[in-house]
Parts: sequence; structure tokens; C-alpha cells
Amino acid sequence: MKWFEIVSRIDRRIIYSLLTIFVIIPFFLKIKIPQNIMPQTERLFKFIEGIPPNDKAVMLSIDYTPQTMPECHPMAIALLRHCFKKGIPVLGVSFDPQAPGLAVVAFNTVVDEFNRQAGSRSDSLIYGRDYVYLGWKSGRVAALIEMGEGITGVFPKDYFDNATDTLTLLKRIVNYKDIALVVVLAAGDYPQEWILYAQTRYGVKIGAGLTAVMAPKYYPFLQTGQFSGMMSGMKGAAEYENLLVRYGYATETGKAEMAMNSQTLVHLLIIFLIVIGNIGYLATRKESVKRLNG
Amino acid sequence: MKQRLPLFICLVVGLLMVIQFYIPHPVSVGFNSIINKWVVILSAFALVLGIGNLVSHHISKIKKAKADRWYSLVTLISMTLMALVGLVFGIGPDSLYQKIFLNILTPLGATMFALLAYYMASAAYRAFRVRNIEASILLASAFVVMLGFMPIGQFLHPYFPQVAEWIMRVPNMASQRGILFGVAFGSIATALKIILGIERSWLGSGK
Amino acid sequence: MSPDPWVWIGAFLTLMIFSFLYKDNPLYKFAEHLFVGVANGYYIVFYWHQALKPNLLEPLKEGNFLYLIPLLLGLLYFTKFIPKISYLVRIPIGFMIGWGAGISIPANLQGFIFKQLEGTVMTPVSFRRIGEGISSLLILLGVICTVIYFFFSKEHKGILRIASRTGIIFIMIGFGASFGYTVMARVSLLIGRIQFLFGNWLCIIR
Repeated sequence: MKWFEIVSRIDRRIIYSLLTIFVIIPFFLKIKIPQNIMPQTERLFKFIEGIPPNDKAVMLSIDYTPQTMPECHPMAIALLRHCFKKGIPVLGVSFDPQAPGLAVVAFNTVVDEFNRQAGSRSDSLIYGRDYVYLGWKSGRVAALIEMGEGITGVFPKDYFDNATDTLTLLKRIVNYKDIALVVVLAAGDYPQEWILYAQTRYGVKIGAGLTAVMAPKYYPFLQTGQFSGMMSGMKGAAEYENLLVRYGYATETGKAEMAMNSQTLVHLLIIFLIVIGNIGYLATRKESVKRLNG
Repeated sequence: MKQRLPLFICLVVGLLMVIQFYIPHPVSVGFNSIINKWVVILSAFALVLGIGNLVSHHISKIKKAKADRWYSLVTLISMTLMALVGLVFGIGPDSLYQKIFLNILTPLGATMFALLAYYMASAAYRAFRVRNIEASILLASAFVVMLGFMPIGQFLHPYFPQVAEWIMRVPNMASQRGILFGVAFGSIATALKIILGIERSWLGSGK
Repeated sequence: MSPDPWVWIGAFLTLMIFSFLYKDNPLYKFAEHLFVGVANGYYIVFYWHQALKPNLLEPLKEGNFLYLIPLLLGLLYFTKFIPKISYLVRIPIGFMIGWGAGISIPANLQGFIFKQLEGTVMTPVSFRRIGEGISSLLILLGVICTVIYFFFSKEHKGILRIASRTGIIFIMIGFGASFGYTVMARVSLLIGRIQFLFGNWLCIIR
């Protein structure tokens, strides 16, 4: 067998094994490559940075599912850390039915982390006062529009079955006028619907944390200012984690940053595979042309 | 009657929803609010269709005694058990329902998607060929983006991340916007056809 | 290793799905069907607890009889499974489709077409910096040519051919960028599972 036949016929099991090894190895190496931060991530960070404490709320539309959790969950954690450190109240909401289970985990993780360090009730995070998770609702477009009139109308009860009109935070945060920014963390077309139905009617500011598959599609909305910033995939989450450290809101980065070495290595592997696949293809083509002429 | 009534309802509701967008009068806003609350409820009922189809599909498989009928049984039993767990014991953060979600549904869903990484690597190796100019442009753009956005990009060349960012911000954005215009005009045309009763495929078969 | 039996269940289910990489097998099939079953059971509960109970049942209990209308419309969905009156399912579907079509027209106009046109049009401000000016010009060219590429009502000859050829270049750059991002996305999902297996289950990585 000639060399180009070998490189163009690598068995899929070898490719699968290489991919697995390339993902695992970096977790055992203690290398830290500095992260370059994309402008749209910084824009989102700075927008939240500019929201005054204890005033308007940030609404997190947590719409990622277990299938895309590794990309979006670190974003939710980083955003919650940022908002809570700055004293910005947070409202959580979901329109994907698989999201609430993960949203509850994200809130609990960050709230526990804060409350372990808190010295008194006033600097603890208290449900209903500092944050509320509204839960999920069907008919998301209708719900998006209706929240512009009143949040409690759409969510008479929160995820934990509390009547929302009894919660301190929701007496103050009535509709989109009281929301400084909505950050949509999603894999599907949810951000688009937020733009179409909440922004066009009520002018609400929207930021996004998207899976990398979705991100290229949303660049037009960044340029028009319909998005006030965006995180793209695991890389976006890692950038936000780095920004939190840079601005002194965290001492160390999180899960997304930890995975970036594997990402880098696998990207190199994929490029290598494409290149050798093409070398094999071109050599085979050249050989068959030669054979035809000869 | 069987077709006209649904078409009439579709026409009236469709027109009212277009009109109310441009009338910010309290009556219009109030009407919109009522309709939205109804839609939230109706969307929940629509699940009946999905679950009904799933159940009838698996029951027919079991009845016909197909080779994989045991798997259909797994689906039906696990669905019933999960529904009972949630309806009887609730869905709180410490509930059994949440535990099953986090430890059964989450790993299953996440791993199914993780398989895609392997198929993507294998397909990239087998199918990504520089057959013509267009394919070469696609490949070049992919390489720049893949390298530029990884931390290693800045070490290859300090401008690498900026070039990758420019590709996303300018040519990628322009093509995505062009496609977006097509989608938006297409959506408006389809919506008009639905409201005016020209597009009737949603009625399904039968009179 | 994790002492939590739930983590072990998750790990085994993960491995069952991964076994498909070798070949289709009963373990994978079991896990796949379990997924479909549990997911649908999960939805039934959720739709009840989070939508129907708070948004329909409780208002009705409070005597808000206007909610009888969506209840009645919703119940019509069940007629789908009663052959004699199955045509009645078209009523709630007609309502929902009409509503969706109606709200989407102004939203698409305002949110997509007007705003995106605004972003494409160049003004003197676009040329404040020469680099930005060239980029704006390229964006305008790219948008027009991409739209022309998808315009099939006229044969692509002469100037239209040049424009559609230019359009395909922009589209290919866009698809290439999307491919690059897709690699990142898919690998992230695999990394997530590896972090679970080696971190949460085996506890050998952080």
C-alpha cells in the first residue's frame, strides 16, 4: 500500500481514540495559556459592570439543556457571580422545559458559595430579596410579550411554588422597565425571539450566551446593537471567567477555562486530520491522472 | 364547516394580532394580554399531541410483537414512572424527580450529543476536501477561525485572533445577514399565506 | 471514586451511550429508549406543575371563568385521538397558527428587516476610520450579493452572475466560520462528559 493510501484510509477507531486521548491529556498537565478576550464578551461584561447595585435587575433566561450544558452552564455561573458580587438583583426564568433543573443547580452553586462566606444576614443572598427563580412557562413567545405588561401575570407562582406577588423583589421589579438587561443563555432560537417579541415591543436590552454552533448566526445582531454583548460557546464562558478574575470578582477561573487546553489540542488534531485527508486525496488524484495519461 | 371554521378562526386571530401591534390603546393592550395568557395554556395542552403519538407508536410496536418491542416497553414504563414520581412527590430541588433529571436524563442527553464530536472528527477527515475554489475558501476560513479563537492563536501570530474576529464581524456577518433577510421575508410571506388561507397544510388530510 | 450511587448510575448510562461508538448494541438501545421515556415523563410533570396548574387551574378555582375558553380549546386537542370528531383538533391549531402568524409579521418587520437594513446602510460616520469604512463597504457588498445568490426568480446572467458568484464567496467564508465554531461546540460537549467521568465519578481530575 502506498503512503497516500494509508493517510487517506485511517480507520475511524483510530480517529475516535486520538480524539479521546487529546481531550483527556490536558487535564493532567498544569499548563495555563493566557486567554485572548473577544470584544463582544468584554462588551457584555462592561454592560453588567455599569448597572448600579440594588436598582434594576438582570434577568437570566436560562434555556440551555443537558445537551449543551458544558458550554452554557459555566456562563450562568460566571454571570451569577458577577451580578451577586455587584449587588445586582437577579431574576431567573426558563422557556426550555429541560432547563429548570440546571438553572436550580446554577443558582444553588453560586448562592451557597456566597452564603458560606457571608458574615451576617445583610450580606447573605436571600431568596425573594436578592434573587428569584421564576421557573418555566409554556407558550414562550406569548410569555415574552406578556412579561412586558407584568411578570407576575405570567408567573403567578415561582419554581418553588411561592406566590410571586408576595416576594419582595417582585414588588419592585414589575416588568421590563425594571430590567436593566436580559441575558439569554441558550442553544436554540430563544435569543431571536427575545429580540423579536420583547425588544421590538418594550425596548428591553438583550445580551446572549450562546452555544458555539449558534454564535455565527447572531453576529448581525451585535453590529446593530440589538445585542448588548455576547459570549460564544465554551470559549466565551472562559473569557468571562477570566474577566471576573481580572476585575477582582473571583480568585480563580472555572470549568470552562480548565477545558480550553483540551479545546486547543483537539482543534489542532482536527486541522491535522483535514490536512492529511486532503494530502491523501490530492496525491490519489494526481496518481489517477498519471495512470490515465500513461 | 370542518375546514371553514378553523380557517376563519385563523384569519380573525391572525389579523387581530397584526392590528393590535400598531395600536397601543389600553383596550388593545388588555386584549393582547388575555390572548397571551390563553396561548400559554394552549401551548401546554399541545403536549397531548406529542405524548399521544409517542404512546400509540410504541403500543403498536408492542402489539405487533416486533423484535424491539422490549425497548418500547422500557420507554412506556420509564415515562409512566417519571410522570408518577413528579406528580406524586413534587418537583422541588431535593425531590426524586430532580435527582432523576440530574442523574439519568442529564447524562443520557449530554452523552448523545457528545457522540457528535466523534462523528464530526471522522467526517471532517473523510469529507472535507479542497475540490474547488469555494471549498478552499471554506477551509481557509474554518482554519483561521479555529486557530484564531484558541489561546494558541496569539502565539502563532499576534494578529491571528484579530483576523479571526474580523472574519466573524465582516464577511460572516454579511452572509448571515443576507440569509436572515431571506428568512424574514420568507416568514412574513408564509404568515400572510396562512392568515389568508392560501397555505392550508396545517389542516392535515381529510375534509 | 465518588461514593454517590446517583453518580455511578450517571456514569454507567454515559458509558452505555458511548458504547454506540463501537457498534449498535442492546445496552445503547436500552439507554436510548430510557432517555425518550424519562424525557417525556419529565415533560408531562412539568407542563402540569409549571403551566396548567398555576396558569389555568388556580385562576379557575378563584372563579375567573374567562379561563374556561382556553380550557375548552385545550381539551379539543384530545379529539385528535377520537376518529369521529378528530377534525375538531383543527380549532385550537387554527387559533395557535393564526396567533403565531399574526404576531410574527410586525415582529419580523421591526426586529429583523428594519433594524438589519439600518445596520447595513452606510453613513459618513462609517468612514470615520478608513478600516471601518472598508469593512462597512464589504458588509454592504456581502449582504447584497448573498441576497442575490438566493434570488431565483431571474436567471443568474451578466451582472447577476457576477453578484451571485461574489455572494457565494461570502457564504463560504460564513460557512467556514460556522464549521470552526461547530468544532468548538461539539468538542465542548465531549469535554463535559470527560469532566463528569474523570472528575465527578472517578475523582482523578478537578
